[in-house]
Amino acid sequence: MNKINKINKDEQFKGAKKYVLDEELAQIVNISMALEMPLLLKGEPGTGKTMLAHSIAESLKMPLIVLNVKSSMKLIDALYQYDTLTRLNDSRFGDSNRDVSNIEDYIKMSKIGQAFTADKRTVLLIDEIDKADTDFQDDMLDVLDQMEFDIFEIDKTIPAKQRPVIIITSNAKKDLSDPFLGRCNFHHIAFPDPKMMRKIIKVHFKDISTDLLENAIDTFYVLRDLDRIEKKPATRELINWIRALQADPDFKPKKLIKGDVPFLGVLFKKSRDYEAASNNVQRRRMF
Amino acid sequence: MFIEFFYKLKSVGIPVSPTSFLTLQKALHKNLINSVDDFYTSSRTILIKGERYFDLFDQVFAHHFQGAEMPDYEGVEIDDLLRTMLEEWLRDPKELADALGIDEDELNKLSPDELIEYFKERLKEQTERHEGGNKWIGTGGTSPVGHSGYHPEGMRVGGESKNKSAVKVAMERRYKDYSHEGPLTQAMVGEALKRLRNMVPSGPKDQVDVDETIYQTMRNAGEIEILFESSLRDKLKIVLAIDNGGWSMDPHVEVVQTLFDYARSQFKEIKTYFFHNTVYDRLWEDPARRVKAKRVEEFAGNDPETRLIFVGDASMAPYELMGVDGSVYVSDRSGNPSISRLRYLSEIFSHSVWLNPVAEGMWHYTRTIGEIADIFPMFELSLDGLDKAITHLMAK
Repeated sequence: MNKINKINKDEQFKGAKKYVLDEELAQIVNISMALEMPLLLKGEPGTGKTMLAHSIAESLKMPLIVLNVKSSMKLIDALYQYDTLTRLNDSRFGDSNRDVSNIEDYIKMSKIGQAFTADKRTVLLIDEIDKADTDFQDDMLDVLDQMEFDIFEIDKTIPAKQRPVIIITSNAKKDLSDPFLGRCNFHHIAFPDPKMMRKIIKVHFKDISTDLLENAIDTFYVLRDLDRIEKKPATRELINWIRALQADPDFKPKKLIKGDVPFLGVLFKKSRDYEAASNNVQRRRMF
Repeated sequence: MFIEFFYKLKSVGIPVSPTSFLTLQKALHKNLINSVDDFYTSSRTILIKGERYFDLFDQVFAHHFQGAEMPDYEGVEIDDLLRTMLEEWLRDPKELADALGIDEDELNKLSPDELIEYFKERLKEQTERHEGGNKWIGTGGTSPVGHSGYHPEGMRVGGESKNKSAVKVAMERRYKDYSHEGPLTQAMVGEALKRLRNMVPSGPKDQVDVDETIYQTMRNAGEIEILFESSLRDKLKIVLAIDNGGWSMDPHVEVVQTLFDYARSQFKEIKTYFFHNTVYDRLWEDPARRVKAKRVEEFAGNDPETRLIFVGDASMAPYELMGVDGSVYVSDRSGNPSISRLRYLSEIFSHSVWLNPVAEGMWHYTRTIGEIADIFPMFELSLDGLDKAITHLMAK
């Protein structure tokens, strides 16, 4: 038992190609994996919560299974599906090689079911859990806690062959319910500081010029700190923005210093924010 | 191990559970934690379940492992207020002097240190007096020392912790920004209102009704008969009545605006009405309360499933609420006191709430708030209050 739990050096998470990882987060991911507890990630949209799961899967070479939570979702939808209609059809026409009297032939695994029945250890990403209601969250954690669920139609319990690495993300400012929190480890991904941001950008744009890098990041942080911005631009927006800047043949990094900031719409997506930002930019250009 | 640390966390008000403490022990037992740095990250990720508590955790950690000053709740708050006051003072000495009720010149004579001491004194005094029931922090909302929501320090993010000791990282207090509740933003209102919905089948019949299909197929002696049904859509009707008159609502305009904006974009079947202080004979469809009126009696024709939400401070002179001709508008005096109008509305709408932007702790200072809360279940217009209000509205 103890041997299994000890983390193998190869199984430790050290970051991936497209993901800049700070030590702290790596430690948190590793300890959650060792304790076999789900890791709940919160943080501003665009700080790389979802990306983390992708990069864990990439670096540990595990298959990634993504469950995108929807507001109308019931727990059973996340576990398995019982395809009544196909069975009905088969019972009428009987031209398939499925056995109509064997209900199991008509059970299809959904995302959590797939993660449980996979032969290899998987990374299970449960994205935006806050969208669903509290009951769904609590019930799901029961399943993840016990690592098994029942299929009522065939009265069978499906245990997890391999405990998946579970990453849960939430955008909510509100806290999730206590029983839920009690069963997860928790981390809040803070927005990266300029130094970290430079690293992140360099990972995404290998041959970016220092000129563009510095000016774009400086301008970005100035714009981010504007008052009255409701949806602050995040890493994702910055990356798209730099991509846009690079694609524009007329653009020169020097323009940014002068206060000529193109493609504001890539950074600010709410019309009120956009106005506030473009007003500010124009004012800076005047002086 | 570390039991004392655990209790210290508990005593400063961080909700830490014994189960999570046992998990931490498990982690220690498995040799997953080999240094103070490891212990810092691991204990935080295991014990602390919200970014709000990260700052307090940092402080307790620094205290426990290095003897840094223990977080003193009172102290922290006064500290923040103090800084706000100083900022205010630098910006506009006169306004602050006026608010504190002292002469500006007298304040000018003090040295910076004395000034801080003086502010501290006043703040302590204020805490005491406040508890005594005297409303020192203004209800008018003009006081510069109003409830904070202001963060003197911008976002400070630690980023890499590689070269620093855990204690140092903890002492940096990177999570200070998250430790206070910010103002109600649209996103937060959205989150709270998400649960306010009434799913009914509507729209095209495009979903297979499995139960009905099986039943009809059996009736057909096995000849398959597939039946469809409409999918569930949200069809909740809402009447939102907003108090937009009088200076007493002025300080709350922003938060009401947020609620209003969100409700408008989110709910298709929403009717908004306006009133001043309380409801007499009519509610108005135009914010100016002049052109389009709807008589209270007409609401009786509404779908009984409609949810009625009042937003107002419910603060007025008692006669405005109880008097037979209490209305400040002559044309509105039909002989029915407002309170019976409100009661009437609460009877036609089986699901109704009153959201009050005034902080709940201040309610008992105003008599009319109590009177109205007897008629409509009243909730504070905050994230918590909204949540409770929604639960109430959706109850069967």
